Amino acid sequence: MDLEGDFTIPKGELFGIIGPDGAGKTTLFRILATLLRPDEGTVTVEGMDIVRDYRTIRTVLGYMPGKFSLYSDLSVRENLEFFASVFGKDVKENAGLIENIYCRLRPFEKRKAGNLSGGMKQKLALCCSLIHSPSVLLLDEPTTGVDPSSRRELWENLAELRDKGMTIIVSTAYMDEADRCGKVAMMKSGKFLLAASPSDIVSGFGKRLASVRSDDMFRLLHDLRSMEGVGKCYTFGDTHHIILKDGTDMTEELVGEQLVSVYGHTGVQVRRIRASLEDCYMNLGEE
Amino acid sequence: MGAFKFLFVKEIKQFFGNPFMPVVLILLPLLLMLVVPLAANMEIRDVRVAIVDRDCSDMSEQLVAKISESGYFILSSHEDTYAGAMDELGKGNADIIMEIPAGMERSVVRGEPVEIYIAANAVNSTKGSIGGGYLSSIVSDFSETLAGTPVAAGAPLTVVPQFRYNPNLEYKLFMVPALMIVVIVLVGGFFPTISIVTEKEKGTIEQINVSPVRKRDFIFSKVIFYGILGIFAFTVAFLIAHFVYGLASNGGLLEIYVSAMIFLVFMAGFGLVISNYSDTLLQSVFMMFFFVLVFMLMSGIFTPVSSMETWSQYVTYCLPTRYFVNILRAVCLKGSSFADLSFDFVMLSAFAVAINAVAVITYKKQS
Repeated sequence: MDLEGDFTIPKGELFGIIGPDGAGKTTLFRILATLLRPDEGTVTVEGMDIVRDYRTIRTVLGYMPGKFSLYSDLSVRENLEFFASVFGKDVKENAGLIENIYCRLRPFEKRKAGNLSGGMKQKLALCCSLIHSPSVLLLDEPTTGVDPSSRRELWENLAELRDKGMTIIVSTAYMDEADRCGKVAMMKSGKFLLAASPSDIVSGFGKRLASVRSDDMFRLLHDLRSMEGVGKCYTFGDTHHIILKDGTDMTEELVGEQLVSVYGHTGVQVRRIRASLEDCYMNLGEE
Repeated sequence: MGAFKFLFVKEIKQFFGNPFMPVVLILLPLLLMLVVPLAANMEIRDVRVAIVDRDCSDMSEQLVAKISESGYFILSSHEDTYAGAMDELGKGNADIIMEIPAGMERSVVRGEPVEIYIAANAVNSTKGSIGGGYLSSIVSDFSETLAGTPVAAGAPLTVVPQFRYNPNLEYKLFMVPALMIVVIVLVGGFFPTISIVTEKEKGTIEQINVSPVRKRDFIFSKVIFYGILGIFAFTVAFLIAHFVYGLASNGGLLEIYVSAMIFLVFMAGFGLVISNYSDTLLQSVFMMFFFVLVFMLMSGIFTPVSSMETWSQYVTYCLPTRYFVNILRAVCLKGSSFADLSFDFVMLSAFAVAINAVAVITYKKQS
């Protein structure tokens, strides 16, 4: 996997990495976690080189891989105690940091980790990666396969941890989650296309965007794509989003009129909208 | 040292958390040591003989009676023709055919030579050859008693063999040390391999890898824990060997345990090397199985090294099982000591050190 990019993540930031499957997110995390040695380039964590000072980095790093990887044949409590002892720490010393997360797991303390529900497994994994009070936390797609309320809780937990001064790097494939990050980097096939705060990314979107609907959404998509002046068209929830080409005479009103008069659509609605993070992402790497 | 202790405790919790594995650990030596020596016996009994008696004389009846009295044979049928007996052999109702020619008694009285024909089914070659051997020795014994009294003058030289260390040539005594080795190979080889590869498959090894735990602590926690389990299983096997089969009555407890420990360290290291090179449980189990078969079949556990092809005798020098088999048999049956077996001990230790060095070098926390 080739990764291309050059950026710095400030201390105490909640930093999101967005990209589709296969973009290189996990590879990046494995490099940051000192599991993978890059052939070229340098990476430093807390000012330490990941190749030379990997041993020191491992003491300040919390890593939660995308795949559940705790001991499923040990109980919840045993897992927590084991991972604390691996870092030479005591569960009690660091209980404060995980209290908000662990309180939900306490009723299941004696249960084997393998028998927990998906959301609970995720909470336990987070606890285990936090138990040694790391200064940098790496979370590889922590919300994949987790129900919406658990997802929200996780992000609230992350925000609390950030407020305590921890640097957190999260990868996700969900755009709505990226909004919660202080800064996001967008990745596509190993390239970092953009790294800025979500509001900067959105306000930097320099194109005219409109949402379109009609009674026949399927034909609408095809028709919109054949229209002159429409640069790009993609489905977005229950509407289609179109981007009008730069320097075209086309306006939202004209699109609506043409859809009715030329293509015979009924119930047409065309509205100019502000770009969301997902719109920005969809239009990355075009120019 | 702190990390080692926690890793070790984790191994204990994992092993005893699953009730299946401790049961296997106890049942494996018990069944192997108690059932296999009884079942896998090279002594041949109850060989079925089809008799084709063309003579039908007193003498031929005496011969047949002597055969059935020997206890090794069952007279399955009396046939009139050889073809009829062959038919029985083909159907699997008889293992050996003995044909007594017509006029045997008359020829014997006249002092003429008589040929008795024996045909054995050699599909099961041991049963065929050993059964045939027994039968011919009974026949020659019989002919001696016939000729007996008159020719006492020309008393032939008789050989009285004495088998040292295993006077009755009991197959069990040969098998039991071999089975003790099988116990140690299975427990010491498979358990640590399975444990490491499971950590790889589940991804837990990654969590260990990103922690400051040193790789030697991780590896030694497994080698030592499964080494102790191996010694436990070996002890069960040894106690059975001693109290059930009366082995190692000549002492040598220290020699046996030192060699078992060295061998366990070798097996654990070997298992680690295999787990370092395999990503899935399936791969590692098949690889391990392949090597275990070579270890067992080529190192004199079941067939003596000295009767192998010359080239394969050289191969056995590269198999640490060879030395361990040597030590165990010599100590169990002969009561040999360290001084007698120094070469085997040195070689076994060299293998153990070398393979563990390879294990630590090939285990990478980073890729």
